[in-house]
Amino acid sequence: MTFAHPWMLLGAFAALIPLLVHLFDRRRPRPHPFGAISFVLRSERRTASRLRLKRLLLYTLRTLILLVLPIALARPQLVRDAQAAIASRGTAATAILLDASMSMQYADEQRLFERGREQARQALADLLPDEPATLLLCDADARPPSVPDFNRGRLRAAIDTARPTYGVSDMSRCMNLAARALEESPIIGKRLVVISDLAAHAFRLDLPPPTIQGPKGERIRPEVLIRDAANGATSLPNRAVTDLRVEPSLLGGPRAFQFTFTVRNLSDEPVKDLEASLKIGDQVVAKGFLDIPAHGGARKTLLHTFATGGEYSGEVSITSDHLPADDRRSFVVHLPKQLQALVVNGEPSPIRYRDEAFFVDAALSAAGSPVQEVIRDTESAFREAFEHYDLIFLLNVSAPAPEVARRLVEFVQRGGGLLISMGDRVDPEAYNKLLGAILPRGLRMVKTAVSSEPGDLDSSAARIKEVAFDHVLFLPFNGKAREGLVGARFFKYMLLEPAQSAPGEQASSQVLATFDDGAPALAFARRGQGRVLLYTSTVDRDWTDLPLRTSFLPLIQRFAAFLCGSLEERDEAKARVGASFVLSAPTSQAISWVRSPSGLRVPTQKRDDGSALVGPISEPGVHQAFNTAGDEIPELSFAAVLEPSESDLTRLRPEELSTYFGEETMRASAAEAQRQRVPFWTWLIVGAALAFFLEGVLLRK
Amino acid sequence: MDLLTSESLARLASVKLRARAVVDGVLSGLHKSPHQGQSVEFAEHKEYAPGDEIRHLDWKAYGKFDKYYVKRFEHETNLRGLMVIDTSGSMGYRSIALSKLDVACTLAGALAYLLVRQQDAAGLVISRGDVVTDLPARATVGHLPLVLNALEGLAPEGQTNLTLAADQLADIVSRRSLIMIFSDLFDDRAEALKRLLQLRVRKNDVAVFHLLDPAELTFPFDDLTLFLSMEDDRKLEVNPREIKRSYLNELQKFLSQVRASCAEADVDYELVRTDERLDAVLLRFLARRQGRAR
Repeated sequence: MTFAHPWMLLGAFAALIPLLVHLFDRRRPRPHPFGAISFVLRSERRTASRLRLKRLLLYTLRTLILLVLPIALARPQLVRDAQAAIASRGTAATAILLDASMSMQYADEQRLFERGREQARQALADLLPDEPATLLLCDADARPPSVPDFNRGRLRAAIDTARPTYGVSDMSRCMNLAARALEESPIIGKRLVVISDLAAHAFRLDLPPPTIQGPKGERIRPEVLIRDAANGATSLPNRAVTDLRVEPSLLGGPRAFQFTFTVRNLSDEPVKDLEASLKIGDQVVAKGFLDIPAHGGARKTLLHTFATGGEYSGEVSITSDHLPADDRRSFVVHLPKQLQALVVNGEPSPIRYRDEAFFVDAALSAAGSPVQEVIRDTESAFREAFEHYDLIFLLNVSAPAPEVARRLVEFVQRGGGLLISMGDRVDPEAYNKLLGAILPRGLRMVKTAVSSEPGDLDSSAARIKEVAFDHVLFLPFNGKAREGLVGARFFKYMLLEPAQSAPGEQASSQVLATFDDGAPALAFARRGQGRVLLYTSTVDRDWTDLPLRTSFLPLIQRFAAFLCGSLEERDEAKARVGASFVLSAPTSQAISWVRSPSGLRVPTQKRDDGSALVGPISEPGVHQAFNTAGDEIPELSFAAVLEPSESDLTRLRPEELSTYFGEETMRASAAEAQRQRVPFWTWLIVGAALAFFLEGVLLRK
Repeated sequence: MDLLTSESLARLASVKLRARAVVDGVLSGLHKSPHQGQSVEFAEHKEYAPGDEIRHLDWKAYGKFDKYYVKRFEHETNLRGLMVIDTSGSMGYRSIALSKLDVACTLAGALAYLLVRQQDAAGLVISRGDVVTDLPARATVGHLPLVLNALEGLAPEGQTNLTLAADQLADIVSRRSLIMIFSDLFDDRAEALKRLLQLRVRKNDVAVFHLLDPAELTFPFDDLTLFLSMEDDRKLEVNPREIKRSYLNELQKFLSQVRASCAEADVDYELVRTDERLDAVLLRFLARRQGRAR
């Protein structure tokens, strides 16, 4: 038997107190002449033997209490067969690996990490005095541990301050890191104490077990002791939100979004009527229920329509279980704000539906549109001060005068958005000459796909064939909504110059949609701080029937929002806990630092283009970005999500561990676990409490 | 201020004053007591028969009914009250202002007042260990001070010997008497109480005033105590809390035995706590006596 705190044993001398009190008690009884002394004498005679026994019992119990308490506080440890065997193999440099992954936050009666921490302390206390040790907290960012030494206080402090993370742990990598550290120790014996929930995903059993270079260069296997933080539980049932897609809902209206999330049931029992809720800010705005089969998943979509534009954060959550961290998933939605648009009508008409701007006007003035538009004819429009607007639509406009063209270029360079649509009035050469600096591509010539004969329309009209549906512009056009886009017929369109051949054109332009002959239908380019979209057909019915299609209205609205940088262009899924990602700064503001949901600064490296490398991200939830002046940049807020694999707590089976680490290791580990489950000193405390209780009962008798 | 509580009575130095105070209390509680008034009272009419006294003929009845009726009277016999006071050492125990002996003397004095007040004879027997002295019963007013003076000088001493007192009483009592015994009955001799109660067999009326101190009834001691006997040299060091339950059981057993013996012998039994109002004790006793007389 060994003691964790042997000096506490000094307290066992307190067990002598009852004896000393008995021997040296010199209390003087109070003399009292009493009339009914006969009864007192008779009572005393009657109870004498019982009282003697009671006093003896009380004395014994009090001695026992005073003896057992200090012994229990000294934390005695019984050395069992397995441990004795370990000791007989000699001293060993020991590396204690404590799994700090998110799955260790699982709590049944106690958090697995807390239990693991106790096991780490126990492992430290079990070490022989001449055994050096080191500690490795195994999380996503695990670094090689220090060389084993005898500074137990440092290790104890490290264990005390250790916290579970939200990241993924790779126990195989950690064991190899620890093995490298053990190689540095001159002691021949090497031991790894692995404290983990034994989640299968953390161990790569396809790799060879950790080995250490021996004194002659040979590879030897260290002794491995496994301590199960889950105390041998057969399974750790869990439910988790593993995926969330936030998309605009075309069916729900202009600011309607659909939140489609997947919930996995990682347990042996099916789940019925699991409550899921959608929260925007602090307010629950939608609820739903899911039935999920055992080891299956279910998908649910909740809808919400936002009243105004702006940045919104929220979360989708399910009823909490033993691992609450993965029962929710946060998101950030950036809705276009109200934009000021100048629509330059190149071909006004007194007949409304023949007016060039008729359909654009209808789209931009629809309810929920992010744009407040002003429609002008060419002459009056070019007299306007462009800086009062966020974007300009040039609809079938003949080439502007050089002065106007210069102002337009300046407008775009300073961050304005420009949409150019074609028509009979557009002169390609004049455009290339005057606006070539900002055009995504040069204009070449008009192509007529079909004559206006009614019979030819369906068979010969050009159609949009390829669309970059993964681009933020087209995100809502999924499923049947795509039909409105690819079904549109185009009779004429402007052919564009190849990207390389355009004189004076900047390199970065992007074709977002092409016709079935490969000609661009929509080209995009960033120019300076602004954006330009070049649509190669008309926005009225002259060259196409697209304006009559259901897709036209959302398309124009999204064009407007996109040109002003109001559409979310970042992929939320990239911001994962444990990883780093590039946070682009679409605005003129440079990112200075990023704050995590708990208020911590996330490591942020500024890059030359104004973006920043953020991470590694340590916790899930909504993160906020700040500029150098300390002001928040709301449009750069993002939500970090957990790695779904960490929610799967499927445990390694004992036979898998036996095969990997060897039978002997598992036997020793099992004996350790047995010893761990019921510490001897706990029974001593229980015994003392029982003795205390009995003493109280006897005193009352 | 209530003059009849034990604290108030204790302030009255002499038994005489205490007895008087108690008697006043009793008399104010006996407004229409049958004990007051005539000593010879009309009982019934009886038709005259030869041999009846002519002076008892009711002439008014003769006038009404034309028949001779004789008035019959009920004569109250003169009562001889003997008060037996146990003055053993244990009677001196007190946990409050008055000891058991003080209470016994006060009650005896008050009863002597009442007896003499209605022309009954009051006598006194004092049991002091192995010595029993007596003051014969007299109905004269001048006898009352003698009784009260005898009570005044009593002090607790010696062992309880109720057997001897019973034997002496058997010799002293020659006529039917009301024998009132004032004692804590702490006599270890098993036959002592029986012998006292045997007085009843001789046509005497016997009443037992069993005097006990509140501390003897409740055993309210906590600290380690050396209990000393008040009659001999017995002593015991004990933790009272450890034996309290057993003591109370023993006492209850004793009280039950005494009660049962008294009931069996048709003897009035009155348990008197020394902290209760003494006029209430006497009223209770007198009421019971009245009930028995009917």
